Amino acid sequence: MSPHRSPFNPLTLLLRLTEPRVYVSFLALSLLLVIPLLLDSPFAIHIFVTICVFGALSTAWNIVGGYAGQLSLGHTIFYGVGGYSAALLIQHFGLSPWLGMWAGAILSVGIAVGIGYPAFRLRGPFFSLATIAFLEVIRLLVIHFHGFTGGSAGLIVPLKIGWAWMIFQDKFNYLIIAFGLLVLSLFVSWAVRATRLGYYLIAVREREDAASAAGISTTRVKLIAVMISAALTSFVGTFHAMYLTFLEPGTMFSLSAAIEIAMFALIGGLGTVAGPLLGTVFVVPIAEAARGWLGASANGLHGLVYGTVLVLITLTLPGGLVGTFGRKVAALIDRLPGARKPEDREAPALRQITGTPGETVLEAKNLVMKFGGLTATDNVSISLKRGEILGIIGPNGAGKTTVFNQISGFLIPTAGTVSVRDGAGMVQPATPDDFARRGVGRTFQIVQPFGKLSVIENIMIGAFMHHHNVDDARESALRVAHLVGLHTLKDVEARNLPIGDLKRLEVARTLATEPAILLLDEVMAGQNQADTRKMVEIIRAIRGTGVTVVAIEHNMQAIMSLSDRIIVIDSGKVIAEGEPETVVRDRRVIEAYLGEDFVHAQGL
Amino acid sequence: MKVILGAALAAGVALSSQTALAQVKVGALYPFSGGLALLGDESFRGLELAVDERNAAGGLNGKKLEIVKGDAVDPNQAVGEARRLTSVEKVPVVFGSYSSSISLAATQVAELAGIPYFEMGAISDPITERGFKNVYRTNPTAKDFANKIVDAVTDAVAPALKTDAKALKIAIIHEDSLYGQTVTGFQVARMKEKGLNLVETLPYSAKSVDLTPVILRLKSAGVDVVLQTSYQNDTVLFFRQMKEQGLKLKAIIGAGGGYSLTDTMKAIGPENFEGALNVDFTQYKTNPAGAPGINEFVAKYNAKYGSAPRSGHSLANYMGAKVILDALAGAKDLSGASVRAAMMKIDIPSGKTATGWGVKLNDKGQNERGSPYIMQWQKGDLVTVFPKEAAVADMKTGGGAP
Amino acid sequence: MDVLVQLILNGIMLGSMYAIIAVGLTLIFGIVRVVNFAHGEFLMVGMYAVYLISKHMGVHPYVSALPAMVLLFAIGALVQRFIIQKLLNADEHIQIFATVGLSTALINGALMVFGADLFSVNAPEVRKTIALGPMNVLIGHIVIFSAALALVAGLHIFMQKTVLGSAIRATAQNRYAAQLMGVKVERIYIISFGLGAACVGLASALIMPLYPVSPTIGSYFVLTAFVVVVLGGMRSMYGAFFGALIIGVVDSLSGYYIAPDLKEVVYFAIFILILIFKPTGLFGFGRGTE
Repeated sequence: MSPHRSPFNPLTLLLRLTEPRVYVSFLALSLLLVIPLLLDSPFAIHIFVTICVFGALSTAWNIVGGYAGQLSLGHTIFYGVGGYSAALLIQHFGLSPWLGMWAGAILSVGIAVGIGYPAFRLRGPFFSLATIAFLEVIRLLVIHFHGFTGGSAGLIVPLKIGWAWMIFQDKFNYLIIAFGLLVLSLFVSWAVRATRLGYYLIAVREREDAASAAGISTTRVKLIAVMISAALTSFVGTFHAMYLTFLEPGTMFSLSAAIEIAMFALIGGLGTVAGPLLGTVFVVPIAEAARGWLGASANGLHGLVYGTVLVLITLTLPGGLVGTFGRKVAALIDRLPGARKPEDREAPALRQITGTPGETVLEAKNLVMKFGGLTATDNVSISLKRGEILGIIGPNGAGKTTVFNQISGFLIPTAGTVSVRDGAGMVQPATPDDFARRGVGRTFQIVQPFGKLSVIENIMIGAFMHHHNVDDARESALRVAHLVGLHTLKDVEARNLPIGDLKRLEVARTLATEPAILLLDEVMAGQNQADTRKMVEIIRAIRGTGVTVVAIEHNMQAIMSLSDRIIVIDSGKVIAEGEPETVVRDRRVIEAYLGEDFVHAQGL
Repeated sequence: MKVILGAALAAGVALSSQTALAQVKVGALYPFSGGLALLGDESFRGLELAVDERNAAGGLNGKKLEIVKGDAVDPNQAVGEARRLTSVEKVPVVFGSYSSSISLAATQVAELAGIPYFEMGAISDPITERGFKNVYRTNPTAKDFANKIVDAVTDAVAPALKTDAKALKIAIIHEDSLYGQTVTGFQVARMKEKGLNLVETLPYSAKSVDLTPVILRLKSAGVDVVLQTSYQNDTVLFFRQMKEQGLKLKAIIGAGGGYSLTDTMKAIGPENFEGALNVDFTQYKTNPAGAPGINEFVAKYNAKYGSAPRSGHSLANYMGAKVILDALAGAKDLSGASVRAAMMKIDIPSGKTATGWGVKLNDKGQNERGSPYIMQWQKGDLVTVFPKEAAVADMKTGGGAP
Repeated sequence: MDVLVQLILNGIMLGSMYAIIAVGLTLIFGIVRVVNFAHGEFLMVGMYAVYLISKHMGVHPYVSALPAMVLLFAIGALVQRFIIQKLLNADEHIQIFATVGLSTALINGALMVFGADLFSVNAPEVRKTIALGPMNVLIGHIVIFSAALALVAGLHIFMQKTVLGSAIRATAQNRYAAQLMGVKVERIYIISFGLGAACVGLASALIMPLYPVSPTIGSYFVLTAFVVVVLGGMRSMYGAFFGALIIGVVDSLSGYYIAPDLKEVVYFAIFILILIFKPTGLFGFGRGTE
């Protein structure tokens, strides 16, 4: 039994230094210190400080913009708050910026939550517009309350020299701090990516609903990301304010700088650890050089180049530098000495499903669902017994998936209650992720895979619910992959799979959450005979482990052979219930499927 | 053979002693690109003309002056360019900058590096209030502007209107960037000192597309005199909308910026701008008796750049650079200490330079004899009306809306 | 009381200016589903075009409206064809970056070509006022108000009564189904983007006599235009029109009663509140932010 080792265990970290990807990265990073040291020029130091500062800002931004997919174009709010807090604390209390840094970070985190909580409901460009609006509001308020903030005339940081004040005669010290902040950002970014939080962020970014179904509280996860990002951005803001010794609202709360840091991340590779820094290293020296050569002779040329490059990159290299070249470079690096194969680990023990067979595990009472004038669910009650396989059938449009949505938290019924067994008693979960955490797992009728993740990573998203450690989750996911027969495809990106495999992936991911109740929505639709037979076996095997299964199906053969019990829904109402043989011969059921005329014609 | 070698050697020695007629580089840090580019470039031209003059007169103690340009649009670039000029180009002194935020950031770099920095156009007061030893400024500051404007009300406008200044209802309107906020702050303070009646202070965004609320507020308050600090766009907007809303003022005084530009007058229409007062750096309709050299400057500018000067900024930079270069000529060398000694020795009375300003630096490096002049738009020309030595016309009353 | 009426009237006139800019944005978003961050720069390009045509051909800026509209239609069509089209199936953030990049490139391109100076056209009759009782209204503003109304009504009729209009509406609702019905979706998108840009072309000709143009003039209007579009419900042109009038009045009133430098704060706050609490817009015409 191998011990559960956290990736942050110092011994583990030290061992990793021998891996080529790690030592090559360290060597490359150290160049940021070594080159200016060799050039020995305050101007070179300035360029590298600028690279480190923007690299750190971009890396911090990436946690929200890249991992979580929420494109904030107002991130300089936190940069400005960090700068102004420290400067004001120096001015009024003579407090060292090392302390002011923390005050700024705390304030930034507070603002981040205040903005994030309402704004995260917005998707895509609307979120971006909202962040721009927040940035502008703050900038205008800072200008307006000039008595407190110095307004447009700006704040001047007194020139007190020394480590306590972050102001130096020897310029190299600035670079040391900037480099330190960059390394901190990179480390935090890597740490997020390598742990459950990173996977969760990506899941939320790709498909929020599927993420909820896997038990992820999407708002909570995004808030954590923005809090981390805000704190890091704020630290950098404090340092840069000390470096410039002059703060003004236009520079500290700059919309164009906010766009720039997002742009560096895009060019380098959104959502990757190294991408933002690569983008910064790529763009900043070119911009400085361009300004040096062209200088005054071409007002605006460097801005024109920025804009054009941005458009070209979006058209040609949407994955950025890392997305396009990352794989090849990584392959080359892996050929260096020191690469290790991941060791085999034992999967963590499966959660045992306790409880008496036959007891009620889910109780839906008198569910009614109205959409405007349409009653989609009309007084439906279901009592689910532990260990049974319940089939739900009915003509198209009958409202079967609507019922599913109500018993998994995706729809709140207009009337009626849904309770789930939790230990000795029944509880009424409120949100989809709440249902998921209480053991109700569901698949979606239209599959919702996390396209950019591999098969195994998709399943891991489910496994994370009970296994917080990445390695444990991976092992558990592997086990499930074997169960459904997807282990041969485990590293394939989900978006490249055919429909049959996608359906099984959907089941696998849900299974990985180790549910007590499994809701399957037409998992056999659109599959051939062989796949269908496989699926039936899988479902039987699942029930064998103690899971209760509810399946919506149109495939009569399959549902008849699988189910212990069948419920028939038509026009939102339950019209028949009982053993498969009985239900299928019920007059009302035949009428519902085939119509009155058929029933008459058959003389039933 | 020996003869040839010997001749070659002699030639070589002669040539190298020619190059020993060394050059001295001076840095010039201005916003050459971005939104401030026009006036940044204009300011630079003044420096360039002063340097040309001195080179024509033999250079700085026999050494030819060579300008190295630095371009900055924001404080981060200002720090970078200041570093580049001082550590890569190794200029011993830097001239600049027109923009206060650039100046504030760059002077900090210069001070820490011990390099003298000569500011000849930016007006934010803190530039010379940080206790720095290597920063010098020849032009008047925002406080000087503000005081001059408020004093113009009590000393010129009120008497012309034949009322007591304290009976006038005065309002300040300004754009909300560094320029507007700084001048306004000092205006408010000065008005308090003099016990004047400030009825409204209305900041607005420089990017406004509509100033009607401002005008209606002024109307509701029954304002007599407006003090405005604005750029070109908002000045034009304000005057146009004033006319549309029928706001009539007894006097209006600008603080440079848009008020000094001919394009502003053209956009508003000379008859609508008639009588508007303006307090700013010396402009070109000034009596040369009070500003000797001003006409010669305009001629030189025309000759070099093929057009008339676009604003008074070039004149201010020219005058400052001239005075400074003269002082540097008398300095032992260009080290921080020697430069400081030379700069502190300068003592030129008012009315003896091309701008009409005297020069005497206080221990913070600020020239205390610089003073903005009062000008007025009359028949499409911006004429100097005060002080008397520099005036070319008398002040007319009823400035504002016709 | 007088002041209040004057402020409201002023607000309506200001609002009609925002309306004529926002209609194009609504069109583009409603049909192509792209948030065009470069919309303000379309206005800027249009205004420079109007300036050049008026100056060099000696015509009144209003006359330049037609060539400006044609020019901007072409630009919009090209942007759609060569940039947006390729990104229709990409992630949203890629689309955002593409239009942001376009915006930056256009502003700086203008800076290179025209410099940072302000250029105006001379059209003094446009700036004469008419007295409406004790109030004064600018003729130019009345023209804009009428044009905005006519534009919205005209587009509405176009959408409802013509075949092309129906094809556009179908594509907006379900592009796959429209394709199956034989609608050339790519062509529809190009036409729609062009149409949205052409609306801005009209706006630029009407605004040019009132404001000088500079490379950053777009940024004065674009954020407000976004506020208007969201307020009006993102896909409804009537919503955009009324939303613009409301914003104009809010702008005017808050400038007077609160502080002129805080009026943006007021309507950005409204913007944020609407986005969060009523994403279908103030009138619920739209279908929200999905």
